[in-house]
Amino acid sequence: MTTQIVPVAVTVNLHGKTVEARHLTEDALFGRASYGKYAYAVGCERLFGLFDRLGIKTTVFVPGAEADANPAYVAALAARGHEVAAHGWAMEEMDAEDIDERALLERTHAVLTRIVGREPRGFRAPHGRLTQHTLRHLADLGYLYDASFQDDDHPYRLDADGGRGMIEVPHAEILVDRTLYAQRQTHDRVMKTWWEEIEAMHREHCLISMTLHPRSDYGSGRASRIAALDNLFSLLRNLAGITFLTCEQIAEPKG
Amino acid sequence: MISLAQRKRHNWPDGARCVVGLTLDFDGTSLERGRGQLPLGARSHGRYSAKCGIPRFVDMFARQSVPWTLYVSGYDAEEHPDLVRDISRSGVEIGSHGYLHEGIDPGDAEPELLERTHKVLTDITGIAPRGWRSPSGHKTARTLRKLRELGYIYDSSDKDFDLPYLARYDGAEREDYVCLPNNTSSLDDFPFYRVSYTPPSEVLTHWKQEFDAIYSEGGYFNLTVHPRIGYGSGSPARVAVVERLIEYIKPHEDVRLVGMLELAQWCLERPSDWRRDWSGQ
Repeated sequence: MTTQIVPVAVTVNLHGKTVEARHLTEDALFGRASYGKYAYAVGCERLFGLFDRLGIKTTVFVPGAEADANPAYVAALAARGHEVAAHGWAMEEMDAEDIDERALLERTHAVLTRIVGREPRGFRAPHGRLTQHTLRHLADLGYLYDASFQDDDHPYRLDADGGRGMIEVPHAEILVDRTLYAQRQTHDRVMKTWWEEIEAMHREHCLISMTLHPRSDYGSGRASRIAALDNLFSLLRNLAGITFLTCEQIAEPKG
Repeated sequence: MISLAQRKRHNWPDGARCVVGLTLDFDGTSLERGRGQLPLGARSHGRYSAKCGIPRFVDMFARQSVPWTLYVSGYDAEEHPDLVRDISRSGVEIGSHGYLHEGIDPGDAEPELLERTHKVLTDITGIAPRGWRSPSGHKTARTLRKLRELGYIYDSSDKDFDLPYLARYDGAEREDYVCLPNNTSSLDDFPFYRVSYTPPSEVLTHWKQEFDAIYSEGGYFNLTVHPRIGYGSGSPARVAVVERLIEYIKPHEDVRLVGMLELAQWCLERPSDWRRDWSGQ
């Protein structure tokens, strides 16, 4: 009897100073408005350094504006084997009234394609906000999957929601670092919560999708949080059937 | 050359492996006054700082004989000049921390407020402050311009790096001003005692883990606590947490506890060691 595979998708939302720059000018990105700058100065390399050490290929959701500001870094992530996927342009809410959603999706698509040398195949909405048209636009642009929904234990088809031919690779709010670190939970509380959720998901062979950020406020970029994650991954790897996959690998039609 | 963030060893005072800065933000009634509130009843937490929290911390730091740094707003200093003067005379650095602990960017009023606080602290202690910590974390390029004009050489307010680094603003890196970052999400009492209401013992464990991670990479540990009741660490159980943490840190080999001004001066005497890689930022 073969062990049943339990897929684990480790995803990173590349939130740098784009988060703060929505509301502030460059001159004001100091003090408490400087957390976003931590990402490229420290957080990204801590996080991807850990994944490279553990041999885990992740899916990185990148806002177009972040890629535009750090093209070499984003290209290097792809070269290291991580999947680069789209994450809006600059942390806009897709359902805001004053934006041209299609234009922003196309702009991000073009920037990521140029930098990575290959079209992104997946999308995650900034703030998890979509309109009724988002999936149709993504299907038109040739996307294979979306990863914004939180409504299932397993991937599913998006045809009925307007994403013809597309797959949803859902994630779970409780396995997003921001959910707990934004509430200023200690590392031990976060890891205890995650381990209890993950063990139970594993028992039922659910897709385990984790979402991390390279920041030092609501993200996992600090050295102490990397150490906690390292520990969690050692526990996780001891569970039977655990297989790390990118979202693209999960969404690919099975041959 | 390996970038500052990737370097395995840093040039700390006394050849130490890791430095530790213990910092207290006074946070008296200036907070409530700054919001136009009377510090009475349920809004009286700021009064605890001068009455109970500061004396408890002063005794504890003396018992442990460790350096520490105190950041005080102009208004709190005017309310408690003797307390601030005594602490200064005991050899502790007094840095400035806004006038009324301005919670939002004061805009064009800021230069005058920085100047007023600077004068208040200088008059009380006889020493011109050279370090600043942002009240509530707001800081802009305008803040930096004024601080430098007043003779400040560092502030401890930024959250974008794990090590000291030469400040950069208005398009230029400064060799005469260093940022000594802090982190108000993980190495501060407010997030745990006010946001997540975590028991003190678990906060102690969390901070020990922070220290372990920073020590293992030869880094810089900056703890920000407040002598207030409520979100702060002034109460018996919470000062005990900081004391247990100090007792945990001390026996580690080659740990150096520093005052913040001492660390800033150390860094500025060798600026090339603290030049950060700004590419892509």
